Amino acid sequence: MPLVTPTLALIIFAVGAASGSLGALLGIGGGVFLVPFLNLVLRLPFPVAAAISLTTVIATSSSVSAGRTGKQLINMRLGMLLEVATAGGSLLGGVTAQMLAQSTVQKAFGVVAAIVAFITLTRLQRRNVILDPGIDPGVLGGRYHEDESGGTVTYRVKRLPLALVASFIAGNVSSLLGIGGGVIKVPVLNAWCGIPLRAAAATSAFMIGVTATTGAVIYYGTGQLVPSLAAAAVLGVQLGSWGGMRFGQRTSAKWLKILMAAVLIVVSFVMFTAGTR
Amino acid sequence: MIRLERTIGIVLRVGVVASSISLAVGVILAFLNAPGAQLLLHVGVVTLLATPVARVIASIADYAGERDWTFVALTAIVLVELLGSVAAALVFNRRL
Repeated sequence: MPLVTPTLALIIFAVGAASGSLGALLGIGGGVFLVPFLNLVLRLPFPVAAAISLTTVIATSSSVSAGRTGKQLINMRLGMLLEVATAGGSLLGGVTAQMLAQSTVQKAFGVVAAIVAFITLTRLQRRNVILDPGIDPGVLGGRYHEDESGGTVTYRVKRLPLALVASFIAGNVSSLLGIGGGVIKVPVLNAWCGIPLRAAAATSAFMIGVTATTGAVIYYGTGQLVPSLAAAAVLGVQLGSWGGMRFGQRTSAKWLKILMAAVLIVVSFVMFTAGTR
Repeated sequence: MIRLERTIGIVLRVGVVASSISLAVGVILAFLNAPGAQLLLHVGVVTLLATPVARVIASIADYAGERDWTFVALTAIVLVELLGSVAAALVFNRRL
């Protein structure tokens, strides 16, 4: 286990604040930046880094979702159904993480970071799915009021098996790599399952609390979740995402996304190289 | 449905505030080398991990109240998966 010093805790707090505000600005979790920093720069073992990141995912999910309840933006029924798949995937990923060598997991992280960079770049122009206001939302669909347009958005869920498969993979990747998994679920739910981007993002953010908990509990049991470092990261991310949401909500995020994709490609390369050494 | 959202909102908010306070106080105590720091840090982490579990349990209770058995069953599966990870954690726990 790493030696916990006040300096290390302060660095992790600062990095947490940076990745939390970046995450809030980009509408993603900061785990994809936090894990490589903890693992490669601070030299924490990969499972320790993943566990710290997962605790920040839980805190972000809980506080963001608490603030959104009552607006019907979170599709609770769909979320609970897809959680069956994400939690199952996460449980499997958490068990697998205990059996894989660090080099294997680093290579997997490199591949996933590259995929996330690719998804980010291909979705720069994507705004929303076209909606027919007259449709019946059905059992799993939803209806919410959109402040900008002043109208009510109604949608049906299409291709549920695909949503379940994507959720299972997202859950698996989440507990293995210590990221939320929203970057995998949200594009699938939006592009192929008919769910408007905001509802998909809110529902995903709601779900990842359960997903990350399933993974984090296993790391806690193995002693790989170091409470003092997790505390520093959680407090940093809370502060950072609060600041990010307060000051950056209306800034155009396009150049930020391009920057993020560029950083992710570097992260992907460095992680993969670290895994092959 | 609205009631469930409200209940979940309260559960999540209480969990986040309680865990953040114990983590913050725990970190400060750890900096000062004060006693009780490790205990508070563990309480904070466990509270954080318990928050989504409590939210799932609250959902099961609410769906049961609405006699929505399909969603009682689905949400119960999620709870079983969460408990499965607790079981896996106990199996892997090298300190036992």
